[in-house]
Amino acid sequence: MSALELIDIRKRYGTVETLKGIDLSLASGEFLVLLGSSGCGKSTLLNIIAGLAEATEGDVRIGDRSVTGVHPKDRDIAMVFQSYALYPNMSVARNIGFGLEMRKVPAAERAEAVQKTAKILQIENLLERKPSELSGGQRQRVAIGRALVRDPQIFLFDEPLSNLDAKLRMEMRTELKRLHLMLGTTIVYVTHDQIEAMTLATRIAVMRDGQIEQLATPDEIYNRPATRYVASFVGSPPMNMLEATVADGIAHIDGSLSSLALPDDIKEKAGQARDVVIGIRPESLSLAATGDMAFGIDAMVEVVELTGPELVVTSTIGNQRLTASLPPKSKVTAGTAQRFAIDAGALHIFDKATGKRL
Amino acid sequence: MTSNWITTRAWLLMLPLLIVMIAIIGWPLVDTVRLSFTDAKLVGTEGNFVGFDNYVKMLSGSNFQRTLITTTLFAVLSVGAEMVIGVLAALLLNQQFYGRSILRALMILPWALPTVVNATLWRLIYNPEYGALNAALTQIGLLDAYRSWLGEPGTALTALIVADCWKNFPLVALIALAALQAVPRDITAASMVDGAGAWARFRFVIMPYLAGPLMVALVLRTIEAFKVFDLIWVMTRGGPANSTRTLSILVYQEAFSFQRAGSGASLALIVTLLVTVLAVAYAALIRKSAGAT
Repeated sequence: MSALELIDIRKRYGTVETLKGIDLSLASGEFLVLLGSSGCGKSTLLNIIAGLAEATEGDVRIGDRSVTGVHPKDRDIAMVFQSYALYPNMSVARNIGFGLEMRKVPAAERAEAVQKTAKILQIENLLERKPSELSGGQRQRVAIGRALVRDPQIFLFDEPLSNLDAKLRMEMRTELKRLHLMLGTTIVYVTHDQIEAMTLATRIAVMRDGQIEQLATPDEIYNRPATRYVASFVGSPPMNMLEATVADGIAHIDGSLSSLALPDDIKEKAGQARDVVIGIRPESLSLAATGDMAFGIDAMVEVVELTGPELVVTSTIGNQRLTASLPPKSKVTAGTAQRFAIDAGALHIFDKATGKRL
Repeated sequence: MTSNWITTRAWLLMLPLLIVMIAIIGWPLVDTVRLSFTDAKLVGTEGNFVGFDNYVKMLSGSNFQRTLITTTLFAVLSVGAEMVIGVLAALLLNQQFYGRSILRALMILPWALPTVVNATLWRLIYNPEYGALNAALTQIGLLDAYRSWLGEPGTALTALIVADCWKNFPLVALIALAALQAVPRDITAASMVDGAGAWARFRFVIMPYLAGPLMVALVLRTIEAFKVFDLIWVMTRGGPANSTRTLSILVYQEAFSFQRAGSGASLALIVTLLVTVLAVAYAALIRKSAGAT
C-alpha cells in the first residue's frame, strides 16, 4: 500500500492548464521533493494534495482511500507553510496544540503532546511566547512542531526554508533530515532550491510546465538526468551544454573547430548524423597539458574566479561557453588557451530537438 | 536648524487653522458654558446668572432620564446590529464569486447617501397608506392591515433603528472587509488543515485581525449614534409621544422650540460630557487591544 498516490492529476484555470496529468506513487516513509522553478505547478500540486485546491481531473489517494472532495482537516495531513502561518495572537504552546484542540483532544493529553514535540524541536523554553517574539528559525520550528504534534500520515512542506537566511537554512535543512530519519515520516516537500532537493529527498520529482520531467533518486537525477532541462536545473555551477553535430562517431562542437570522439556506448545511440547537446558537469573537467592525448577539449580561458573551495574557470569554445570547477590551487591564466580533460564516464548526450537523453 | 525654530515654525504653520478653530468652535463653546449658567431666552433678554439651576433642573427632570434611556437604546441596538450585519456582509464580500466587485460598490451606496435622503426614503417605505413595507408584508400574508410604523410608539424606535442600520452598516462592512483582506491566506489555510471549522476559524484565527479595526468602527458609530439628530428629525421629530426623542432632539426642543437658551445650553454640555466620557473609555480600550496583539 502506498502512502500517497496521485492519479492523472490535472488542473485548469479557464483555458490555461497548469497541471497536465501527474501520476505519482509514494511509499510510506519516503521524502519526496517536488523541484521546479516558479510557475511549474509544484505548489498547486501540493495544495491539491492538502485539499486547499481541487484538481480539475484525477484522483488523490492517501493511505488506501480516495480523498478527492474531502476537507483538508479530514485528510490526515499536516502542512508547513513558507510564511510559517503561525497564529499571531496565540502562544507557541497553543499554536502547536491548536490542531489537537480543534480535534477535541483533552487538555492534559494535549499539553503532554505539545511538551513532547517541543522537546524534539528543542523549543521547550519558548512555549509561553507569542510568535512575534521569536526569530525566523524559531518560528519555523514552531511551524514544524504544529505539524509534528498531530502525527499525520503525510507531512506537506511548502518551501519552508526560503524565508530564512543562508546559514539558518543550512541548519534547518540538517534538522529536517534528522527529523525524517528519526521519525520515519512520509513527506512531500516543495522547493525551487536544488541543494535542498538533493540533500533531503529520497526521491525528487523535477517539474516543468505542469508535468513531471523526471522522477528519480537524487543520485540518478544528478548523474543520469533524463532531459536537458533536468540536467541544467540541478547542479551548481550548472552543467555545460555544448551544441554539436555528430558524424561517424565524432561530435563537432558548433561554431568551433573542436571535436570530441564519442565513447563507444554513446556513439551507438547517437547514430550516424544528428544534432545533439553534449552535457558536461563543471566538476567533470580537469586541467590537461597542451597536446595531452587524453579525452578532452581545447578552450580559451576568459574568467577565473576563486570561490574559496573551488576555482571556477569560464572559457569559450567558438561562441559557446564552458565552465570548469577546479581545485582552488589550479594554475590557470585568463586569456590563454587551455586543454581540459573530460571524465568520459560523465558525458551526457541529449537530442537537440527533443531535449531527451540519448 | 535648531529644535526651537522647528517648534516655532510648526506653531506658525498651525496658526491659521488654530484661529479658525477657536473662532468657530472655541468661542461658541465658551459662550455655551456662559449661557448654561443663565436663564437667557433665545431672543430678547440676556438673562441673569442662576448658578447650577439649569443643570439640576435638567438632570433631575423625567424628560432627561427618559430621553437618555431612549438614546442609549437607540445607540446600543443600532450599533450592535450594524456591527453584526457589517461583519457578515464583509465575510460574504470577501468570498470569491462572480459580480463581487459590483456588489461591493453597490453596498457603499446607502452610506454615501445624505442622511436626509435616506430618512426621506425610509419615511416613504414606512408610509401607512402607500408604503412599500406595508404592501410587501400584507402581500406575503404576514400582516392583515396596513400599520403606521412611525406613528405608533411601539414600533417607531425600531423603525428608526432599521433605517439607521441600513445607512451605516456599510461603513462597518468596509472597515471589516479591509481588515479581512489583511488576513494572510496561509493562516486561514493552516487553520483549515488544523481542523478548524468555519466558526472556530472565525473565532480564533480571523477575529484577532478584525478586533482592532472593528473597535475603531465601534467607537465612531457609538459616538455618532449617541448624537443622532437629522435622521430622527426628518422621520419622526422625536414622536410619537416622545417615544423616539433622543438627547440631541431634546436639546433642540429646549433651546429652539421652547426658546430656553440657558437650559438648552446646559443640556448640550451634558451630552458633550457623556460623549467625551464614551470616547475616552473607548480610546483606552483600543489602546489595550492594540497592546494585546
